[in-house]
Amino acid sequence: MSFLHKDNFHRDAFLGLIVWLVLIVFYHIFPDPGIHDIIQKVFILGLFAMSLNILIGYLGLIAFGHAAFFASGAYTLGLFLQSDYVLSLGGLSIPIAMILAVLISSILAALIGVICIRLNDIYFSFLTLAFQMLIYSIILALVSITGGDQGLMGGFPKPPFLGIDLGRPFDFYAFTIFISVITIVLLRQIIESPFGYGLRMIRDNSERPAALGFNSQKHKLIAFIIAGSIAGLAGSLQALLDVGAYPEWAFWSKSAEPLFMILLGGMQSFLGPLMGALIFELLNDFVTANTRYYGLVLGLVILCFVLGLKKGLLDWILFKFNRK
Amino acid sequence: MLKIDKLSKSFGGILATDNVSLELKPNSINAVIGPNGAGKTTLFNLITGKISIDAGSISIDDTDITNLKESEITHLGIARAFQITNIFPTLTVKEAIKVALLAKQHGLNNMWNRFKTHSINHEAEDIAELAGLKSSFNIISSELSHGDQKLLDIALALALKPKVLLLDEPTAGMGPEERWKMIEKIQKLWKKTKMTVLFIEHDMDIVFDIAQNIYVLQQGGIIAQGTPKEIKSNKKVIKAYLGGGKK
Repeated sequence: MSFLHKDNFHRDAFLGLIVWLVLIVFYHIFPDPGIHDIIQKVFILGLFAMSLNILIGYLGLIAFGHAAFFASGAYTLGLFLQSDYVLSLGGLSIPIAMILAVLISSILAALIGVICIRLNDIYFSFLTLAFQMLIYSIILALVSITGGDQGLMGGFPKPPFLGIDLGRPFDFYAFTIFISVITIVLLRQIIESPFGYGLRMIRDNSERPAALGFNSQKHKLIAFIIAGSIAGLAGSLQALLDVGAYPEWAFWSKSAEPLFMILLGGMQSFLGPLMGALIFELLNDFVTANTRYYGLVLGLVILCFVLGLKKGLLDWILFKFNRK
Repeated sequence: MLKIDKLSKSFGGILATDNVSLELKPNSINAVIGPNGAGKTTLFNLITGKISIDAGSISIDDTDITNLKESEITHLGIARAFQITNIFPTLTVKEAIKVALLAKQHGLNNMWNRFKTHSINHEAEDIAELAGLKSSFNIISSELSHGDQKLLDIALALALKPKVLLLDEPTAGMGPEERWKMIEKIQKLWKKTKMTVLFIEHDMDIVFDIAQNIYVLQQGGIIAQGTPKEIKSNKKVIKAYLGGGKK
């Protein structure tokens, strides 16, 4: 077990497997569906937030329009599974629909990214927001396809594959966490690879890389596409969970959610956004159960983090831990 | 080695570089001096492709690099260190040098290896040693002293294994004692690597001490060039820059 001491892919894959198994056992020890629901959502939203943090934490670009890719993943999956034409051909299996969702999201990210990455700072942020609102308008306008402001209605079949029936709560729980953990392990590999350090270099100094003979624009675009693809994957999981897709998922406030999670959990630690998603979901669950003023409580909690800890929770914990 | 022919550049009607021609011999160490605003940094920006050229041509080893991109010129063997310090504040000395080494080899697109255990570690150590940064190898760049940050910037340029190294005021912001230490290090480095060096420097004593060949810039144009001895006795230079006395 010597490989456990080293920060490498095998260790991460092993730890990922352990986490997955622990959560499977957890499912059986605590049979409360409410808890299962929270854990699933934490992973889905965590993926969404972690994908955004590639841009914010590692590349230093704050994207305000990241929900465009979440929504494109959700709608792509829903539309392919629902389409009469596809169903008349025998229908798509869920893994294929998910791959298509990620693919379409990555193409969308390439198209939007190639324009946005030419800009920096606030101009980049607002351009991503503009593109997101364009996607939102398209979803609202194409009523016959997307259902407009009603969302993708009528549900869609979830045909079993490889003995997995996502209609069963346990299968869905295990599947969602499995896909999320794999994605997180792969993302960790990318972030810790030479490519990932190229991102940090651009974040630290956007001028210097060219003098090192390095094409930072291409690097930025690839990162943008990866971020968009993972957001699309998160969107497709959310669509599977809700058996539908809604235009609010492409609205600007949906892009704020992963930003809040990153603020809550921390942008400097790899798993910070995932922890942020956990805090976000727990707040959502407990606060909405007790008061109508969810936004107020969320705002106060974020203020406490920003003013009190001056960083996200996981960043703060690691900072304290490393100092000792 | 590096050959510049009738290079010109103007910004909004003001000539920043005026018909500059120069040729650096292989393995030589050369200085550019001139008052503030003489166009020294602009000259560096033109050579490295950071800004575009209005007229003239630049070549290295008979390869024309006149209108190439900054990153392409870097790959053809021209590297530079900047005036600004704190280049990559969150990276350690080791990480910064490794990133530069990988950039040179087009290795930063690699997603399948781990950066930390990448086989390039030894090479990075050699470069740090060459630049005199071995003792601060694992220190975060932003925590280095001002002089060491300058050295790190030079180390990054060295990682590119350049034929020509351009140094923009390597001793800026340093006290007299620190300056001499820095310049000694640069001289040693030059002797060891046999690179062609062109540096910008304000301190006349330093320039006369280490440069083999000096170019004096004024208002964008070269008003004199030659060995330290020739420059010291050049009337135009004495009038324009030295003001009659030494410094």
